[in-house]
Amino acid sequence: MKDIYQNNTSKKFVGVCLFFFVIYLCFLYLGIDFERFFSALGRFGSLIANRYYPVDLEYALDPGYLQSILNSVQMGYLGLVIGVIIASVLAYFAAANITPSKRIAYPIGKFLIIFSRSIHETIWTILFVTIVGFGMLAGVMALTMYCIGFFGKLFSEELENVNMKLVETIRSNGSNEFQVFAYGVWPQVKTAFTGILIYTWDVCFRASTIIGFFGAGGMGWYLKRNVLQLEYARVSAIIVSIIVLVVLSESLSAFMRNKIQKETQ
Amino acid sequence: MESFALDVNTYSQQNYKKIIKKIIFYITLIVVIFLSVYFIIVLDTDWHRIGSGGGILEQLSYFVGLDFTIMKHLIVPTFETFLMACLGTMLGLFLSLPVAWLGARNVTPLGMVSFGFARFLMTISRSVHEIIWALIFVGAVGLGALPGILALAFRSVGFISKIISESIEGADKKPIEAIRAAGGSGFDIMYYGIIPQILPTVIGTIIFEWDINIRRSAIMGLVGAGGLGLAFFRQMHMSNYPGVTTVIIFIFLLIIIGEILSHFLRKKIN
Repeated sequence: MKDIYQNNTSKKFVGVCLFFFVIYLCFLYLGIDFERFFSALGRFGSLIANRYYPVDLEYALDPGYLQSILNSVQMGYLGLVIGVIIASVLAYFAAANITPSKRIAYPIGKFLIIFSRSIHETIWTILFVTIVGFGMLAGVMALTMYCIGFFGKLFSEELENVNMKLVETIRSNGSNEFQVFAYGVWPQVKTAFTGILIYTWDVCFRASTIIGFFGAGGMGWYLKRNVLQLEYARVSAIIVSIIVLVVLSESLSAFMRNKIQKETQ
Repeated sequence: MESFALDVNTYSQQNYKKIIKKIIFYITLIVVIFLSVYFIIVLDTDWHRIGSGGGILEQLSYFVGLDFTIMKHLIVPTFETFLMACLGTMLGLFLSLPVAWLGARNVTPLGMVSFGFARFLMTISRSVHEIIWALIFVGAVGLGALPGILALAFRSVGFISKIISESIEGADKKPIEAIRAAGGSGFDIMYYGIIPQILPTVIGTIIFEWDINIRRSAIMGLVGAGGLGLAFFRQMHMSNYPGVTTVIIFIFLLIIIGEILSHFLRKKIN
C-alpha cells in the first residue's frame, strides 16, 4: 500500500515495460496473431449480431426442450444429494482437528476431495459416459464427483474452524466419536452447512445445464445438437434460457439464505 | 391463570404446526428424490449396455495404466494451459475494471442506468458456462489458444468485477472526502482514495480466480481451443485409455502446482 503513494516513476515504468514484454513473449509462444487479438471484440460483436441475434425464442418452448430442462434439474438435484452425503463424510475425515484418525482417514479424505475438485466436471462426464454409456446416469455421477470436490472443500474448511473447546469438553466427558460430532461439532456448523449446501446447488445446477454437451442428458444435449446443425438462432435461445434459469435459481437461493440467516438470529 | 393457559395452548399449537410443516417438507424431499431416481436411473439408463457389475469393472480396467510414449508430447500443452489461464485472468482483470467501476453504487456515473447495465453484464458473464463462451469465441476468432484466453477472460469478468465493485462500495469514505475537499478530480479520488483501500482484496480475488482458471483452461481444448483439453480429446477419440489417464494425471499435477502457488501467494499478501 505504501508503494502507491511513493512516486518512483522510473521504476514503475520499467516494471510496466517488463510486464508487457512478458505478455508479448507469451503471445509469441502461443502463436497468437496480434491483429486477430485486437479485432477479437469486433468479431465477437459481429458474430453475435449476425448469427446469434434473432433469438428463436419459440424453440425454448418446445416440449422436448422443456422436458430436458426438467431432466437437468433432476440431474443436478440427485447429484447434489448423493454428492453432499459422500462429501460430508469425506469432509469429516479431511478436517485436521476432528478427523477420526490422522494417519489413515485424513490423507484419504483430503486426497479424494482434491482429486475430484481438480478434474473439471466436463472431463468427469466424458469419463463416466465411456464407462456407463450415454444418458443421465453418467451426468448424475459426474455431478456427484463435482459436488464432492466443491462441497467437501468448503465444508472441511468450515469444520476446521469450529471452536475446539466445546468439542474437547464433550470428549473429556467420555463421549464416543459419534456423540462428539453430533453434540460438539454439528450444532456449530449447522448454519454454514445449509449455506454451503445452497451455494453448491447453485453451482451444481449451472454445471448440470452444460454436461449434456458431452453425452449426459439434459439441456446440454440440445445445445450440442444445435451447435452441430449450425442452428445459431436456436443456440442463442438455449443460452438465453440457461441465463434465465440460472438467475432464477440464484435469486431463489439468495432468498432462502436470507431466510435461514433470519431464522438463526 | 387463564391467560397463561391460553398462551401454553397457542404455543403448543404453533409447535404442532411447525412439526407438520417439517414433516411435509421432508416428505416432499423424499418423494422428489424417488421420482428423480426413477426417471434417471430406472427409465433413462441403458442397463443392457452396462450389463453387470463386471462390465463396469471391465470398462474401468481399460483406464488402468500409463502411456509413457505421449508424456513428452504433453509438456508443451501443459505449459500452454498454464499460460492460457494466466493471460485469461489478466485480460479478465482488465475487462472487469470498467465493469466494476460502473457496477459500484457510490462511483457509478449515470446512476441506475449504468449500475443496472454493469450488473447485467456480470450476471451474463457468470451464468454462461465456460464451454459456451469457448464455443462462441472459437466461432469468432478461430481455433487455437486465443479463443481459450478470451473465454476465460469473459467468464472471469463476472466474479472479479463483482468482488471489486463490492469492495469499492465498502471502502472507507473519509479518505475520499478528504481528496474531494482538497480539490481532487474523479480520477484522483479513484487513484489515491479508493484503489489503495481495495488493492489487497482485489489481489486475493485475482489469485483465487487464477486458481479456478487453471482448472477451466484444462478443458478449453474440448471445443477447439488448445492446451491439455485438446490432448485429452485426442486420446479419448483414439480410444487410447491409458493415454487418457496420463493426461488426467498431468492436469491433476498442474492444478496441484497452481493450488500450492496460490496458497503461498495468498499467505504472502496476508
